[in-house]
Amino acid sequence: MKLDAMRRYATTDIVDVVVIGTGAGGAPVLARLAAAGLKVVALEAGPNFDPARFAFDETLADEIYWTEERLSGGSTPEAFGANNSGTGVGGSTLHWGAFTPRADERDLRLHSETGMGVDWPLGYDDLRPFYERVEAFIGVSGPSQYPWDPGRRYPLSPVPRNGPAQVMGQACDRLGIRTADSPAAVVSGDFPQEGGALRRGCINCGYCHQGCRNGAKTSMDVTYLPHAVSNGAEIRPDCRVHGIDRDSEGRITSVIYRHDGVDHRQRCAAVYLCAGAVETPRLLLHLGLANGSGQVGRNYMGHVATQVWGTFEAEMRMNRGYPSSLISEDMVRPDDADFAGGYLMQSLGVLPVTWGNSVARGRGLWGRALTEHLNRYNHMAGIGINGETLPCDANVLVLADEVDAFGMRKARIDFGYSSNEDRLNAHATRTMTAIWEAAGATDIWVLERVAHTIGTCRMGRSGDSAVVDPHGRSFEISNLWISDGSTFPSSLAANPALTIMALALRSAEAFLGHPS
Amino acid sequence: MPNSPAPHTTIPGPCTVVCLHFLGGSAREWEPVAALLDGVARIVALDLPGFGDAAAVSGYSVAAMADHVAAGIAAADPGGRWYLAGHSMGAKVALALARRAEDGAPDLAGLAGLVLLGGSPPSPEPMSDDKRREMMEWISADAETRRRKAGEFVDQNTGSPLGEPLRTRAVEDVLRASPAAWTAWLRDGSREDWSRRIGILRMPAVVVGGTEDADLGTAAQKALTLPHLAHGRLVALDGAGHLLPLERPEAVASLIAGLASEEPLLKSEAPTVPEPYRALIESDRVNTRLRAALLARAEPDGSADRPVYLDPVELAQLRAVVDRVLPQDGTGRIDIAAQIEARLAAGTGDGWRFAKLPADGAAYRAALRTLDAAARSVHATGFLCLDGGEQDAFLQAAAAGEPLSHEVPVDGLDAEEMTLWFEDLRSDAVRIYLAHPASLARIGFSGIGAGGDDAETLPGFVRVGIGDPEPWESSALQKSSTLGETGR
Repeated sequence: MKLDAMRRYATTDIVDVVVIGTGAGGAPVLARLAAAGLKVVALEAGPNFDPARFAFDETLADEIYWTEERLSGGSTPEAFGANNSGTGVGGSTLHWGAFTPRADERDLRLHSETGMGVDWPLGYDDLRPFYERVEAFIGVSGPSQYPWDPGRRYPLSPVPRNGPAQVMGQACDRLGIRTADSPAAVVSGDFPQEGGALRRGCINCGYCHQGCRNGAKTSMDVTYLPHAVSNGAEIRPDCRVHGIDRDSEGRITSVIYRHDGVDHRQRCAAVYLCAGAVETPRLLLHLGLANGSGQVGRNYMGHVATQVWGTFEAEMRMNRGYPSSLISEDMVRPDDADFAGGYLMQSLGVLPVTWGNSVARGRGLWGRALTEHLNRYNHMAGIGINGETLPCDANVLVLADEVDAFGMRKARIDFGYSSNEDRLNAHATRTMTAIWEAAGATDIWVLERVAHTIGTCRMGRSGDSAVVDPHGRSFEISNLWISDGSTFPSSLAANPALTIMALALRSAEAFLGHPS
Repeated sequence: MPNSPAPHTTIPGPCTVVCLHFLGGSAREWEPVAALLDGVARIVALDLPGFGDAAAVSGYSVAAMADHVAAGIAAADPGGRWYLAGHSMGAKVALALARRAEDGAPDLAGLAGLVLLGGSPPSPEPMSDDKRREMMEWISADAETRRRKAGEFVDQNTGSPLGEPLRTRAVEDVLRASPAAWTAWLRDGSREDWSRRIGILRMPAVVVGGTEDADLGTAAQKALTLPHLAHGRLVALDGAGHLLPLERPEAVASLIAGLASEEPLLKSEAPTVPEPYRALIESDRVNTRLRAALLARAEPDGSADRPVYLDPVELAQLRAVVDRVLPQDGTGRIDIAAQIEARLAAGTGDGWRFAKLPADGAAYRAALRTLDAAARSVHATGFLCLDGGEQDAFLQAAAAGEPLSHEVPVDGLDAEEMTLWFEDLRSDAVRIYLAHPASLARIGFSGIGAGGDDAETLPGFVRVGIGDPEPWESSALQKSSTLGETGR
């Protein structure tokens, strides 16, 4: 994004807030605080990209993934990198799928409903106004009638259904499963971005996960960040935070970061840590910070993200179109559930390298069976879920013994399903398989998969059992705030990014002293 | 003789072949071959230090022997294009010289190919300690023992007994060898590890093994020497033992003549990108950055012959595994293993690894050791010498989490680790495979055509539904857009 004309601060200036990370958690905070007239500086570990350079290629897109090594343990080790972790100005929103369901009201009080999981320290009514603000600002396309929330209105008409969405929709109709055009943070037509440039309508290229070339897909660098810069925020790319200074009362007085091999100190009055559910706890653990509760790193969650694939007689050419253009929320609370919570379903079109990786790694094909299956790429379509994961003691992020190039210990993340996830997964697998059978698919197979990075710095009402309060403020260090997926007490069935943005705005309002 | 070796046998011919003998041999072991090549090639057979007429010359390390030969080659003035034939010990010296030549040594300019006969490999030669010790003992024994043992040595190293006068002369050669040179080779030279120094040579090479050669037969050549030769060809001489120039002069002469008549190989073959797909790549539907990347991927892999992290034998083993995981039909092939190797050397990753595995490079090396150890344990030969079905059986065991053999090498991976590594390998291989434009064409992928350079006017896709290709998609992917020959 264009940064050449932005306001700049000296490291000796005591800025009001340093925001660490420019993804879905940091960018809305930066924009809101800048709009309120605060002096704000964002430090981004990755580079600043011109989206026009993104090249419609999975391998060239490696530049927007966080590829520093993490160690994955537990009974269902999670893949990072391209699966869920980004780098660059805009963070993981450079590569996210832009699938923007809201949290289901019931998921926020799962413990009250089922005795399992936890309740959030806030309710749907606390979030709804922020959801609406975010959806209007970033330009979410969606159906005119949302079957699972009839009062909801999306600002833009839906993007077209691609092959997998069409075939899934027909089969779900036959089975009595309701579907709808997906809520997607992809503008279906040209969209004048408030505070930014005109965003061109989606061209159905299918490369959402490789970086959007024309700004149709919401990423922070075409939405909140230009807005922030237009209001005087400074964004410093290639700046990796690895330390802080504190005063005698324990308040943070400056943030230490490395740029071009040289350490700098930015003085500040407050810090927003927005580095995601892996790097945020990693930095806190590295610094021994804000962990009086012992909760930093605990209750790591990835979503149950199983996919079911099938081969179709007709050509799907699933690379074309918005990849997940059909949604069903019918399984958020299925009648025959033997588990707490539920799952969303979406149609799937996946590009060759990602799909081939699933076939070879996940399905386990090799030899002639692999190459013959790859040759049928144009006849494939998938369905995937995003399913509730309950917090669990065994799922934890710790610092490994190995260190990275900055001398910081690498993150080791242990993650595994418990019986609730196993039962949910079995239900989802049966449902998706039935849909593909109804659709006439052959060679139906199941890809076990974990998605997203959630938890590790949970919000709560007490510093004894939580890292931050319901607005993201540290219980321990009064000028430290956290805004990213790490604060989620439970995973929710919904994909996290929209909720991260809504929570970010809510947190920023609290920071500004506006009660909500 | 002083340190100026003279050519022993010189036959004028259109091209020169410099020949290096085995342990206990001498330049005259090449006389039968030279006679057969009379008029076809000029044979320059040299005595190595400590042997034949050079028995008094010292300097027995592989490097010192190579220096000695380089001087002999310069003295022989081999001309613009010449070849090097090495037998057993002489083959290791020949490999060292070939590396120098490919690195641009001016005194070795023009070396155009290798013939390696029962060659001692770049890595330490497989030989039991007992055998080494016994050979070192009798070479300095009394005359009667020496004569008896030299005869046994010649007889043990032939598939069937040599005729006369070849046998007598071979025994005489052993007896006139310097015991110091003989011992130095057994103790040191044969155990010098030249594997990484020699690396992978690009010049054409014929690697010959006798099927009755216990230690340096075809299996050892395939497992230990062939991996060092990007354009090497293995030839088995049925029924022959170790003394190939003496046992099979006709076959050896014919292989030398054949190599000398071949055109030099310069490039590995890359898979062909079909013309309509190439036209799409060149069209304005593909952006400049992507076009450059796709065309670069379509070129043969330039790093294939210079492994940095893996040694050449490990790289050959990895190629063998990848061939089973991702068989490539047709003439050209993507050198997936070399690209994996390059990534391991660069130390770049994809953002995570299984906590149960060591770092990627270490995991790959340990996995290859485990496969090779299992092959030796179950089949008494290296993984490279197994047929595809035998290799598959080990990979199936790895995928299933079953032990590959009864014992895991101490520096290997256990069954669970092998399962995880094999998952990583499949992932690495398929991602490289599907980045190649020939693979994208094969699977009928049209996504590269989503748009050119102007981000404001990208065409993208207008049609996104079932069975509704855009006209340009159909023409770019004429051959690949149906289920194809594999059917369902």
